[in-house]
Amino acid sequence: MKIGAAAFVVAGCVTYLVWSAASGSAEYYQTISEVRSQPAAGDVRVLGVVQDDVQKLDGGQEVRFTAADSSARMTVDYRGTLPDIFKPGIQVVVEGRTGGDGVFHARTLLAKCPSRFTAKA
Amino acid sequence: MITASLGGAALLAGLALAGFGAGLSAWAGVRRDAVLARVGRRGLYAAAAAVVLASGALEWALLGHQFELAYVTEHTDRSLSWPLLASSFYGGQEGSLLYWTLVLTVLGSVAVAAAGRSGVRLRAYATAILAALAGFFLALLVFVASPFDLLEITPADGLGLNPILRDGGMLIHPPFLLAGFSSFAIPFAFAMASLLAGRYDAAWMAQTRRLALVAWSLQTAGLTLGMWWAYHVLGWGGYWGWDPVENVALLPWLATTAYVHSAQVQERRGQLKAWNLGLVVGAFLLAIFGTFLVRSGALVSVHTFAVSDIGPWFFGLLAVLVAFSLGMLAWRSRSLRPERPLESPASREGAFLLQNFLLIGLVAAVLWGTLLPLMSGLFGAQRVVGPSYYERVSGPLFLALLLLLAAGPLLPWRRAPRGWWRSLAWPAAAALLALAALALGGVRGVGLLAFPVLAAAAVTSVRGLRPLPWAWRHRRVYGAYLAHLGVVVVAVGIVGSHVWQSQRTATLAPGQAVTVAGHTLTFDAFGARPGSVSEQFVTLTMGDETLQPARAFYPGLGGQAVSRVAIRSTPLEDVYVVLNDAAPDHATVTVFVNPLVTWIWAGAAILVLGILLGNLGSAVPAAAPVRARVAAPAT
Repeated sequence: MKIGAAAFVVAGCVTYLVWSAASGSAEYYQTISEVRSQPAAGDVRVLGVVQDDVQKLDGGQEVRFTAADSSARMTVDYRGTLPDIFKPGIQVVVEGRTGGDGVFHARTLLAKCPSRFTAKA
Repeated sequence: MITASLGGAALLAGLALAGFGAGLSAWAGVRRDAVLARVGRRGLYAAAAAVVLASGALEWALLGHQFELAYVTEHTDRSLSWPLLASSFYGGQEGSLLYWTLVLTVLGSVAVAAAGRSGVRLRAYATAILAALAGFFLALLVFVASPFDLLEITPADGLGLNPILRDGGMLIHPPFLLAGFSSFAIPFAFAMASLLAGRYDAAWMAQTRRLALVAWSLQTAGLTLGMWWAYHVLGWGGYWGWDPVENVALLPWLATTAYVHSAQVQERRGQLKAWNLGLVVGAFLLAIFGTFLVRSGALVSVHTFAVSDIGPWFFGLLAVLVAFSLGMLAWRSRSLRPERPLESPASREGAFLLQNFLLIGLVAAVLWGTLLPLMSGLFGAQRVVGPSYYERVSGPLFLALLLLLAAGPLLPWRRAPRGWWRSLAWPAAAALLALAALALGGVRGVGLLAFPVLAAAAVTSVRGLRPLPWAWRHRRVYGAYLAHLGVVVVAVGIVGSHVWQSQRTATLAPGQAVTVAGHTLTFDAFGARPGSVSEQFVTLTMGDETLQPARAFYPGLGGQAVSRVAIRSTPLEDVYVVLNDAAPDHATVTVFVNPLVTWIWAGAAILVLGILLGNLGSAVPAAAPVRARVAAPAT
């Protein structure tokens, strides 16, 4: 039946799109200790809490800080626009890789919004 | 104290009334008892009244700073203006549940009251399902997440609202989106009721057509307002980030879009019955699923909703609804055969079906990306996909949908006559013209592909209005083509801002300038405004205009800074300036030039206008007169 064939073709195209796009852009979530012990070849995403040592460099265009979770810490370097709510104590998701200098160079930095639904920042 | 007792009592009464209404209506449906059904309906109306009373009590407490209520303390403080105080009603978890229940019971009552011609059983079962859903939400509000919980000590002031949320966009975006989701419960309830009642005509559809369109336009407005808010307040230069929370709001909208199109096939031709039921169920379940996902904290999102104990409850509701609706569809599947099969894929029906396939493909792809971290987490390291995944998957699918938008409306119902493709001459000519102009203008890449398709779609949408003499009775046709035109305008904005965005970050000394995409901005002066919320701002000149981006500091919230973006909008492009860092001797700014963004807001307005126009003032159709209607002239 022609309609069934059309559905099949669309399903095939979507599967192909999903597969090709995902194999090109999927990243792994790693914990900070994983990043330190087994640096991945590509970019990874890491969740951590910003510590008190935030340094702003280059007129505020670059920032360097320590991110920590319950078991490990790492130095993160990020160049770009900071989210408004960025400050010590908030959770951030950084995306990037560890450079030869042992510093995690973040390509993107996302701050987790203080809940849209509660006020406690 | 009194307010809290009153509100709590109203919720409890609402729960009892909803339970009573659900039980009685279901029994009335089984017995075909019109008197019993009327009593059951009144149970639902009374539950709606109780919810209205509870909502009034919560508003009263919020506006009156009754900080003995935990909800009031946690979401407001004395410094908030009254519109923000009033909007805190749906700003928190408990309140948003109450808001959802309010929309469900009030609109549900209206729908049931207006369904007088749909037959005793269909109406009674629909009442039963709506009342049962309302009962679920009321049970949550009474036992799990009450907005009327009291604090032991009454604080002098509340904790306040996060500064990012203190914005006009926040006042209007959530209520639209939530209302769009909760009102889709009504088509769902009528669809399930028609299965329970063993009626396989389009009565349920005719009965809820208007509400489905209202829900769809509310969702459309809600999504657009969310984008508008993100663009104007969050200061990252964009409006859509493919965050899980955004995705789960998009999914029901896509499914609803599929439904409002395929419903016409059943209305006119009596086909796709099971398919339409499946879409209604799917759209409603996706709305519930989204609520569960964002409330359960299962996904890492830029938005963290208050993760709370209601996650498992929503999961339970979802499981019950999936089992119930799949069970009903399976039970009645033999009776849902079409009156006649589709005659030819090259027909209006075929185009609608293909559009449905593409939209469902889009839903599947977005869902897959959203759930990937959860699914892959079960089998090892968590994997995650970013915006580039979504863009690469959705781009071709959206393009295919726009192609269909250019060609589909030109196909006649039933079967295209030989040589029908000659009607494609106009859109094809427009596409070729656009292609030539763009190629000569030096445009390459995605823009060269997308804009010709958009030109063709625009021509089809505009020409669709042409052969009809202006008459009020044609409003459905006008509305549909106007909505199509709105989609094209939105798409022009999305493609334009995506393909041609320029961005630059620069640190400037006074008098220095930065040039982005032909716009030169000169750092003129630094200034500060003291106050309880202090502000730093810089003045930049661009030609004879000035732009003043600022940063505000909220001392009460640990010195949180909030950017105040400066935007200079024209129909062609926005100059969008974010202040990153400022001092008298330097300013670091990020300048975005976002072409055609205004088209997104304008197009969405046209789209909503089209939906409303197609829907305005039409009498509630009787049981199943739709097939008698003359098919629209093939244009």
